[in-house]
Amino acid sequence: MEKFSFKDVLILFVGTIITISIAWVLLTVTGFVPREIGKLFFEGAVVGQRNILNTLNIATPYILTSIATVVSFRVGMFNIGINGSMYIGGLYAAWAGYKFTSLGHIPHVSLCIAIAIITGSLWMLLPAILKVYAGVSEIISTIILNFVAVLFVSYMANGPFRADPIAPATPRILETAELKQYFPNSQFNSGFFIAVIIAFLTYFILKKTTFGYELRSGGDGLVGFYPSRYSSYLGIPSDRSAITGMLISGGLGGLAGGIEILGNARYFYQELLFNQGFDGILIAIVGKLEPIGGLIASLFWSALRNGGLFVDYKTEVSREIVVILLSILIFFVSAQKLVSSLERFKFVRKLDAFFTRKIK
Amino acid sequence: MTQKNIETAVEVKNITKSYPGVTANDSVDFKVLKGEIHALVGENGAGKSTLVKILYGIEQPDSGEIFINDKPVEINKVDKAIELGIGMVHQEFHLVPSFTAAENIGLGQEPKNSRGFIDWDKLNSEVSNIAKKYGLDVDPKLRMIDASVGIQQRTEILKTLYRNANILILDEPTAVLTPQETDELFEVIRSLVDEGKTVIFITHKLREVMEISDRVTVMRDGKVQGVSDTKNTSPEELAKLMVGREVFMQVEKEKAKPTEKVLEVKNLWVHDARGLLAVKNISLDVRKGEIVGIAGVDGNGQTELVEALSGLRPTSKGEIIFDGKNIESISPRKRRRAGLAHVPEDRANTGLNLKLDIWENLVGTSYFRSPLSKGGIISMKNVVEHSNNLREKFDIRTPGVFVRTGSLSGGNQQKVVIARELSEDPLLTIASQPTRGVDIGNIEAIHKQLIEIRDSGKAVLLVSAELDEVMSVADRVAVIYEGEIVEWVNPKDVDQQQMGLYMAGIKD
Repeated sequence: MEKFSFKDVLILFVGTIITISIAWVLLTVTGFVPREIGKLFFEGAVVGQRNILNTLNIATPYILTSIATVVSFRVGMFNIGINGSMYIGGLYAAWAGYKFTSLGHIPHVSLCIAIAIITGSLWMLLPAILKVYAGVSEIISTIILNFVAVLFVSYMANGPFRADPIAPATPRILETAELKQYFPNSQFNSGFFIAVIIAFLTYFILKKTTFGYELRSGGDGLVGFYPSRYSSYLGIPSDRSAITGMLISGGLGGLAGGIEILGNARYFYQELLFNQGFDGILIAIVGKLEPIGGLIASLFWSALRNGGLFVDYKTEVSREIVVILLSILIFFVSAQKLVSSLERFKFVRKLDAFFTRKIK
Repeated sequence: MTQKNIETAVEVKNITKSYPGVTANDSVDFKVLKGEIHALVGENGAGKSTLVKILYGIEQPDSGEIFINDKPVEINKVDKAIELGIGMVHQEFHLVPSFTAAENIGLGQEPKNSRGFIDWDKLNSEVSNIAKKYGLDVDPKLRMIDASVGIQQRTEILKTLYRNANILILDEPTAVLTPQETDELFEVIRSLVDEGKTVIFITHKLREVMEISDRVTVMRDGKVQGVSDTKNTSPEELAKLMVGREVFMQVEKEKAKPTEKVLEVKNLWVHDARGLLAVKNISLDVRKGEIVGIAGVDGNGQTELVEALSGLRPTSKGEIIFDGKNIESISPRKRRRAGLAHVPEDRANTGLNLKLDIWENLVGTSYFRSPLSKGGIISMKNVVEHSNNLREKFDIRTPGVFVRTGSLSGGNQQKVVIARELSEDPLLTIASQPTRGVDIGNIEAIHKQLIEIRDSGKAVLLVSAELDEVMSVADRVAVIYEGEIVEWVNPKDVDQQQMGLYMAGIKD
């Protein structure tokens, strides 16, 4: 994958400054005092126990969906269906959460998580098989499956799994199935730790195991070009890698949905809205398709989001402004041509060479 | 050189260009006189390509000056180079296959008639006029899809001439040609110079330098090693300058001592990607202790034959017997395990994943084995040691094994492939175009390695479009033409001319 370099840091820095200037203008024009809003924003993102916990809590699904993206991209598959897996995993985590009544806390939670992973993963089996054996573009099939997932969970919450006669929702999950919330002032729960462990585990598997090597060797840098000739030439079963990668990706999506239910929502309802599966793609790209990069980018992204929520809560400023600003920032970070065009400046090249040497 | 060549066409002074970690051009001075054929030679990674890319406006130098016709210029984009009368024929052609020669040549500069539409008649006649003037035999109405490689190359040259190029840069123009086509190209180059053009001829084939050029500049490690009149130098001297040490131009080997058959191909038929028959009823065998060569112009079924043997392409009919067992329907990995190694012709997409680090490409066939990995966990310490050993043994020039493979020069990339394939001590090595885009010092090393394999009692199947290579390295040679073996020859008994005829499908 593209390696981190000084240029990226520089672009991020320049991008942030430009984004802040645009924010400044936007806020001034709409009649606010940018300094104060900025202060509130910063406070909401990272100041105080409650805000920090909320930021971490928001980050949990982003970490998982961005890593789901990383895994699929690095086997060469362009998986846009992670959001669908989230819905499926969330629905079945909720089902398992109220269905199994005679289990202890740890077995019950583990079972719910396992079911979220397995169902999210199976959701990706069809596009993976269609791609490998029939050449159907996974981009198309996973987009379509997102719609199917929304309709399917909506039907299930309204029909077979419905408990409440008034609202289309499943029963509340049992206490034994809950992911523990540690603090009274925040929904922060143990799901965050699962996500962080998954990030490091994925890094380890991709980078340090033969299984990870087989997954990556055919796909790295070849998103959308699967199957690569390189892996079939070496005799690495690239079909198997591609399917496995998609299943892992879907499983992580399912896990993200499951944790949202078991840790935050505690039941599944028809209007439940997930979009972290889509944001995860962006975050993964910002994180340069590395698991740890995805982890860091998710935390960064959530801090910005939470800062925005805080501003929205405290003032009249519209929350959408944050979305606009985030988008501008993403624009800069993903502008690879802009990054490489920095090479024309001598000091950039020198610093680049300097830092590269440091890393080695 | 004649009297008129007193002005300079191109002069660069003190050009420096560095990429992160590499100085591709280090204070390069390079001068080409008007009306001469100037050969630019050097190993891969010596900085030739960077230099001509700077001249053609593709890359910008960090420092230094460029003079065209004695005037200082700044060439910041390709358009500017074309405006200055510089034309370049790339190694890979940039042609639209479904367009005719004239359409390709005029693309972007089509003559318009009074109503603003393209004046095809004018374009066609202009093209044939230029073609006639320089002795470039091209039918303006011929579609490129139907044209031979030689014709395509002439079309590329015409494209530059149509844009009024006075200085032509030809990047390894003979790499894809048969000996006869090469001779024809040289005729064309001579007639271009007669008409007052200047030609910069990039190559690594020293025989051609001696034959065609007036002067020669040798580069190594980003620096100019020497400039001289061709008639005052010799291939040995040039090779020494290029490599920085004495090079043995002749491949030295003992007589082969072949023993039992390791590969036997019986009546093999293979279809290509478009579903057309590419290999027609080929039978051959390779014995331990010998190198069997397959000669032929590119695109005559070699690719499909090799892919069928290595398991990347299904066979249609026939048998492949390797080490006593039929292998035509088993997977590439099983064939590898049985002792079959394969250096593919397309190293960028097949032989390597350029996005991976060097070590990751080096362990592609061995990562699953102890001591490189245990219980599925890769031992970085052993992998790095293994990679560094191969790097040293095969002289892969890189700052380290944690470098992206794609950042290496073509020759070094090829060394990564060869290092990986030979590290397995295979029974049979299928080497397809193993020295394509590889420089002279490394060609020598690769040839030596192939002969070493043979002498250690293993077998080699060498497929190459490079006639010199097949003739000097192989012990027996099959000439392939349109998917069929035209003739088996002993390389000692035939000359280049006769081989050229076989390669064109002409048999006595």
